[in-house]
Amino acid sequence: MTLRLALFGLIAGVFVSVIYVITEPMIIESKEEARTKRLYSLAEPLLNDGRIGNPVNEVLTSNAPVSLINPLPVTPINDGELQIGAVIPFRALDGYSGTIKLLLALDRERRIVGVRAIDHKETPGLGDKIDTRKTDWILQFNGLRYVDLSPTEWAVAKDGGQFDSFTGATITPRAVVNALAKTLAYVETHPEIVGGEK
Amino acid sequence: MRLATVWLDGLWDRNPGLIQLLGLCPLLAVSNTVDNAIGLGFATLFVLVISNASISLIRHLVDEAIRLPAFVLVIATLTTSAELLIQAFDYPLYQSLGIFLPLIVTNCLILGRAEALARREPLLVSTMDGLAQGLGFFLVLVSLGAIREWASDTIILAALPPGAFIALGMLIALHQAIQKILKRFRSKPQPNTQYRRVRTTGDIP
Repeated sequence: MTLRLALFGLIAGVFVSVIYVITEPMIIESKEEARTKRLYSLAEPLLNDGRIGNPVNEVLTSNAPVSLINPLPVTPINDGELQIGAVIPFRALDGYSGTIKLLLALDRERRIVGVRAIDHKETPGLGDKIDTRKTDWILQFNGLRYVDLSPTEWAVAKDGGQFDSFTGATITPRAVVNALAKTLAYVETHPEIVGGEK
Repeated sequence: MRLATVWLDGLWDRNPGLIQLLGLCPLLAVSNTVDNAIGLGFATLFVLVISNASISLIRHLVDEAIRLPAFVLVIATLTTSAELLIQAFDYPLYQSLGIFLPLIVTNCLILGRAEALARREPLLVSTMDGLAQGLGFFLVLVSLGAIREWASDTIILAALPPGAFIALGMLIALHQAIQKILKRFRSKPQPNTQYRRVRTTGDIP
């Protein structure tokens, strides 16, 4: 009987292996597709002229904020030889339910092209309004530069800043706005990340 | 006749979501939107039908000692395959189902059907039972998803975990109420003594 069980195990192993071998290239393709689709919707205005380049790991200086992982995987947007912008991941560690992972697209003048929350566990109906599937809240950053507002204005209205929070949920938008402000401030001092000059 | 009872049991009389209360964890967790409910409902249906069929096929080859490990092996293999297939064909769905897709392995509905029925019944009955029970589960999951998605526009609670319990409770109550009315019109079906199960709602036979 033990032998029989081992035989079942073997058959099951072969079965899963076959499915794995068949689906593996398709899974890689769908993952890549999901990634480029996300990048496209985010950096759309840049993509009239630009093309998505291969991601490069940028080593950050020690004064980098916690909202950026180090080294930072930067996806450049290139127009021929010229880098006209970049998509960088950042995160808000102080969301209501853990870390909120976001993507930020900037042009080479460090103007915000788009911000998206890509992974979060915020409360459905409250904090998840940062998600474009629920509301357009996160689109209000489009077109802004860090220098357009004073550092105190880069905060939610409740903290004396420029940005609305949602009824019943302040922690989530606060976390997003603060993480975004810290990220932008860092890129302001390191414009080479987005292809700009100091 | 046997097949008719199998279908009636799965869809209504012994509905896995409303009477047997099996697979509650995914039922409550993934029913926040209709899309998720449909995705997980189909994945569970797929695993349940094929697991019932394969367990029925190997039923003469396993004895008491290796029965459970063999069944779990079958279910785990099928769940892994379902996960790979969904990842390949519908990646966004894979992402929104998250941990609940691999957790189909632990859905007690599937092992429950294997133990209660598929290990003694021929291929056709077992497959039909998988279809009926899986469809019964699917329908409850999707109804719950529809109710919660619709209600969450006005009542935020509906989208939150407590809302899932309350909505399911109401569905169970509705089922019991309809059952009570139906009983007046049809003669009480003989309790199936072929297998026994601990039941948490409904009449104690």
